Amino acid sequence: MKIYTYGVIDSNSGIEDSNKGIEGAHVHNIPYRDIGIAVSDLDERYKKNVNPDHILKHEEVAERLMERFTVLPMKFFTIFKNKEEILSMMSEYYDSFNENLDRLRGKLEFGLKVIWSGNTIKKRIAENNTGQGQSELLSNGSLAQNYVMEKFEKYKTDRQFKEEGHKYISTVNRFFSGFAVEEKLNMLKSEGLLLTASYLVEKAKQDDFKQAFERLKKNGPNDLKYLFSGPWPPYNFINLTKSEFKKV
Amino acid sequence: MNKKVKTDSPDVFIAEMGKIQEALPERIDANPQNVEKGLAKLVLTLVELIRKLLEKQAMRRVEGGSLTDEEIEKVGETLMKLENKMKELKEIFELKDEDLNINLGPLGDLM
Repeated sequence: MKIYTYGVIDSNSGIEDSNKGIEGAHVHNIPYRDIGIAVSDLDERYKKNVNPDHILKHEEVAERLMERFTVLPMKFFTIFKNKEEILSMMSEYYDSFNENLDRLRGKLEFGLKVIWSGNTIKKRIAENNTGQGQSELLSNGSLAQNYVMEKFEKYKTDRQFKEEGHKYISTVNRFFSGFAVEEKLNMLKSEGLLLTASYLVEKAKQDDFKQAFERLKKNGPNDLKYLFSGPWPPYNFINLTKSEFKKV
Repeated sequence: MNKKVKTDSPDVFIAEMGKIQEALPERIDANPQNVEKGLAKLVLTLVELIRKLLEKQAMRRVEGGSLTDEEIEKVGETLMKLENKMKELKEIFELKDEDLNINLGPLGDLM
């Protein structure tokens, strides 16, 4: 029997979830000491056949669990060969699971993506830089010197581009300060995607946090596009380390 | 679940996320048929990382004004040769720029 895992929870008792999980399978809890892991049993011959419905189902189960427990969601499609493997994993990470469950209790994750006109901004910066400073060398320099100067122009442009990005990000982020207990900010994953942020928010403050986003849309920089999502289980705030000693 | 995602510009985000998906580093897929390419990809990624670091250091020195014209000449030649050699190697192993990407953790992606 293969076992599909949804998330570690802060309970070792039954889940009693009448809704089905992956492949229509029943969702139940495998207890380990005072915690547990929500799983579905899959047939031994089950072959991985991922489709969008699976992703939605995984997320749906994790969210249902989130309503009643603190959840450390497993990565999508984490399947174990049998119960023994699961218990061994639980023993290995027990201390870390507990630390994370304590830290994340009563908290949710929200996501924010921000798109800016990266292309246009970079072009503008490059145009402003051309004709300034070192570029006179371009007319009299050797091939190698010209090469260095061209690289230098690009280096300056890239740096100013990032500085400009940082300004926008701190403006955006100010709207949320005071509402999140932790944040993870990823800048410029592509030229257009200025910010990919995850915020850890106390359940009690989730409405305040949502209102902060409404304020950002209304009063923030008007040349940005936003995608706001959540609440989610805290996917991006789990820090795992193996336990030093096995405590089976 | 859709009510959990709010945006006024869904198409713009779908397009942008598509670009990132393409830029994500793949696993090194080694099998008897492509083991050379897989290894070349790994090695060239590291060479590219070092080349970029050298280039960045050179740019800092240019900015600091600590290089003479002769030194700029030397740096330029070295960087140019390195870049050309990399181009050759990428062609030999049929690798594109985006194949030589690596996630440097908190520093972000190499490319």
